[in-house]
Amino acid sequence: MKQSGWKRVVLALAIVWAAWWLVSLVASWWSGRGPVQRVDASPQQLALGRYLVEAADCAACHSAPGRAAFAGGVPLHSPFGTIYGTNITPDPDHGIGRYTADDFFHAVTAGEARDGHQLYPAMPYVSYKTMTRADSDAIYAFLMNQPAVKQANLDNDVRFPANIRATLLGWNLFFAGAEATPASPGSSPAWQRGRYLVETLGHCGECHSPRKLLGQIDRSQPLEGNKEIGRFAAPDITPQALAARGWDGASLNRYLATGVAEQAVASDEMLTVVNLSTSRLIPEDVEAMTVYLLGDAPPAPVAAAPASAGSPGHPDYLNLCAGCHGQDGNGVPNVSVSLRANSSVRDADPHNLIVVMLDGLPEHDFPGLARMQDMPGFAADLDDARAASLVNWLRRELGGQSTNVDAAAVRDLRHQEH
Amino acid sequence: MSTLTLNINGKPYGPIDVPDGMMLVDVLHEYLGLTGTRFGCGQGECRACTVIVDDERGPREVRSCITGAHYFADKKIRTVEGHAKRDEKGQVTALSPVQQAFLDNFSFQCGYCTPGFVNAATVLLERLAKTPVRSDELEATILEALNPHLCRCTGYVRYYQAVKQLVLATPGLVKT
Repeated sequence: MKQSGWKRVVLALAIVWAAWWLVSLVASWWSGRGPVQRVDASPQQLALGRYLVEAADCAACHSAPGRAAFAGGVPLHSPFGTIYGTNITPDPDHGIGRYTADDFFHAVTAGEARDGHQLYPAMPYVSYKTMTRADSDAIYAFLMNQPAVKQANLDNDVRFPANIRATLLGWNLFFAGAEATPASPGSSPAWQRGRYLVETLGHCGECHSPRKLLGQIDRSQPLEGNKEIGRFAAPDITPQALAARGWDGASLNRYLATGVAEQAVASDEMLTVVNLSTSRLIPEDVEAMTVYLLGDAPPAPVAAAPASAGSPGHPDYLNLCAGCHGQDGNGVPNVSVSLRANSSVRDADPHNLIVVMLDGLPEHDFPGLARMQDMPGFAADLDDARAASLVNWLRRELGGQSTNVDAAAVRDLRHQEH
Repeated sequence: MSTLTLNINGKPYGPIDVPDGMMLVDVLHEYLGLTGTRFGCGQGECRACTVIVDDERGPREVRSCITGAHYFADKKIRTVEGHAKRDEKGQVTALSPVQQAFLDNFSFQCGYCTPGFVNAATVLLERLAKTPVRSDELEATILEALNPHLCRCTGYVRYYQAVKQLVLATPGLVKT
């Protein structure tokens, strides 16, 4: 009897599941219909919408290089699989052509598409949830007045059980509502505007805040950096960490507006952020972001320690690095960055310095005419111990950091899957 | 300043005292009288300064303007001076196949980039001798090998043409 009881439970579950499946199928068919929306907007509204689309960096995920603007296709790699940015042009079948302003606001801030399916949190609705309705409407009006592109969305490659979108209902229940603790102390109007630009529109915390086991952002450590986000780490950008690496308001403004500052140039995904988003903001908004990142009372930037040559690692520096970065480490404009007082060299975490040394970097193309030449990787030239010595030499002599990098740290990053 | 011994084109040079951090191209020019290697951009972009290194990873191209001379201490180097056949007096008796192909195809005009192209093409041919490519991959392979080298007289087409001719005319470089 026990066994047939089991069977009955399984049967009941199967019926419930089948009913659910049928209902959601009908619901999705039903909601996939509906009138195609036409949105009239004044030139001013469209200009505001475009500006907000840039501030929210929609293009980074929704405009793939070589494909039509906002037609989707950018892969986003996560521990749960690869998710592709979707078509957000006004195409009625593949895009958002049937979305009303209400549907759009709901999708952007609550992570639920018009047909009722849950968006993956790769779409930063957890950050966007504090977006104002007026801003959402302006973005909607702008997108609805872009050319409709008939381009189907790419299939995501997400593993079980995250590929069952209904599980996101549970995820959202626990994690989507969390308010981000401010990353810096402040209250000025610029700080508040900056908080909105950094935390909500710019969704900086999606990369720069650490994440926990189920991919939820650790809201108790806002902007404290994330090493698991990709091959490169998104560094700690809290006020104290920025100041310790020599950043002040003026240099952060330059970095966000142009991608180039004395402390660093924007690389990897941050280069896309600068090119598509922060470089297009008005100076007041860039300044506001900086005020929020450093706080209303910014900590004084820490000066880099003076250099002294001659220690293990120095010969490799002279032979392999100095040709471009200079014997003094000062770099060459539009060719190679200054390593003296460089933000990655001074980072308490050597992660990015090791990765750059092993992998090199592609050519950089910044807003305007600024460039940086590509850098070769030295994985084949330097074994783990020599790379560690070179990293330590750079960190001590040019960065004023402790020399705590051992061969194992290099080996781990050399063999990291990427 | 450190003492340095180099092996260039099969000949030992030194020991000589060379400042730490001096780039190889400067040592070739100023200390050893080997002026065939060109100093172009000085930042590793144009590849006119390319030399060949024969080590466990070689033969491979290395940019002598951004690589310190002391890096080459235990390595064998080939420069553009080392390709042609010479008699006992050091006079050139025959160019290397790559050099001859470039001449036959009028591949260069001012010639400043030529030492780099000669070395790149030589490395490519030696690589193909070990691992031949399919003929439909040949053009892409040549492009990949020569693409980083800049030529401001726009001689690219004839460089590529010369290398393609030579590869096809040399047995064993293309899979049949």
